[in-house]
Amino acid sequence: MMKDCEEIKRLLGPWIDGELDADQAAEIQLHVQACASCLDEKARLERLESSLKSLLETKASEVAFDTFWAGVRQRIADEKSWHARAVDWLRGIFSPPRLAWAVPAMVVILVAALSLDRFLPGWRWVFGPTNVASVESIDGHGFNVALLREAKTKTTVIWLFENQENDDETSVEPVSGNAAF
Amino acid sequence: MKLRWSLFQATLLFSLCATLGSAPAGAAEAEKSQQPVQLKIGTILATNQADCLDSQLSKMKQQLEVIKYRCYRLIREESQKGSWQGNAVFEIPGGRSLVVTPQEFRNNRISLKVRLLEGEKPIVDTTVRFPNKGNFLLGGPAHEGGVLILSISAMTQ
Amino acid sequence: MEIAEWELVRKCQNGDVAAYEDIAAKYYRRVFMVILGVVHDRDDAMDVAQETFYRAFKNIKRFKGGSNFYTWIYRIAVNLAIDLQRRKKRSSVDLKEDMDEVIVETEASGNDPFRELHDRRLGEKLLCAIDELTPDHKAVIVMRAVEGLSYKEIGRIMGCSEGTIMSRLHYARKKLQEKLGTDL
Repeated sequence: MMKDCEEIKRLLGPWIDGELDADQAAEIQLHVQACASCLDEKARLERLESSLKSLLETKASEVAFDTFWAGVRQRIADEKSWHARAVDWLRGIFSPPRLAWAVPAMVVILVAALSLDRFLPGWRWVFGPTNVASVESIDGHGFNVALLREAKTKTTVIWLFENQENDDETSVEPVSGNAAF
Repeated sequence: MKLRWSLFQATLLFSLCATLGSAPAGAAEAEKSQQPVQLKIGTILATNQADCLDSQLSKMKQQLEVIKYRCYRLIREESQKGSWQGNAVFEIPGGRSLVVTPQEFRNNRISLKVRLLEGEKPIVDTTVRFPNKGNFLLGGPAHEGGVLILSISAMTQ
Repeated sequence: MEIAEWELVRKCQNGDVAAYEDIAAKYYRRVFMVILGVVHDRDDAMDVAQETFYRAFKNIKRFKGGSNFYTWIYRIAVNLAIDLQRRKKRSSVDLKEDMDEVIVETEASGNDPFRELHDRRLGEKLLCAIDELTPDHKAVIVMRAVEGLSYKEIGRIMGCSEGTIMSRLHYARKKLQEKLGTDL
């Protein structure tokens, strides 16, 4: 049975998109060739999508790949490993103005903690025993040292790096390139 | 600027006094075990080449996952009986050595002084306190396209 | 999927950023177009496109090659763009700015003054009309117009059936035609 214009117009989109089976497609094609109204509708649909495409293409053509890629690469580089982030944090802490305060403050805290343990042995047990190792001192002999402690897995990691002052900030290679040795 | 400097001096002076004051008490309080301490060093090579976990490291899986490498292989494991305040030396790949000195045993926690050397050159000196039969990880040395991770554990009776 | 492209993907899965740059160069513009069609604002589109490629790289090990790479990355792009669009209430002032930009571009590139005037009007109206669609309808018509993707591919990207895609596309086209009227 021949379809009326309303039905044909409903199927024009899928027909243009090549989504109809061969029989339906042939039927629509026959109708469109003979019907000015449906032919006009087809042209309008095609013009709609070509206008949309050309509009977006014009906008997209202005985007230079270098600019785009710089942003992507930056995002990749920003997601550093935990030890790279720890080194950054340590760098911030050890900047000269802060160092003037940080050194005596750290000495006082360390001495206070050690002293309290000696005057009041076992005071730490007041807060419940900990299963994680505690690092009492570290000397990296010029290398950067990062420390990670995770109570859940009872993990304490001491990680060594060489000084990264001159390294490429955007490098995203695995950490082996930053090792101290 | 002057104010900052005098504060700096004051804190250093306070720190010195506190250290000197606490030393005799600390010495008196320390309770040391007479039992020997069993030290075990596992040398693990971590790389990013493929996903793998050495079956001998399955018990450490969760700890190693914290470090975020893809492949972990146990390349050496060595145990030694150490004495309190005595040095135990472990050979580490790449001409390195690890000198472990058990310091004390208190509140069921062992304190170890650990020195990593490359030839004669010291790389790191650290003192770590951890539960009896526990461990900690020391990582970073580059080795054969990856990095070495040392699992340092100790136990005493 | 082409063998050469699969080789690049495998390299990316081993952390090779240079290989990923080649893939990004191939697809960034098309991905940007689809995103722009949904979010409209150029800066937002740039941000979403960069985030798309970043997330794709981060999760590239999950890509098993069962589908085309562009289908996979479009899914990330469209989801991010739709999320942003749903979160963001756009003001009419922003739209006006976007339209002005389009007008300037058309003036610079057109040769036939009548055609140029018509395109300008059409561009303005098209932007207004699209913005009235829901993010899902926008995504469907943009993917169809820009990439000519099949209903099956669009359905895979959007996580719905071909029937739903056909219905959304029909609705979106009808709405746009109504809005554009005789300008089309």
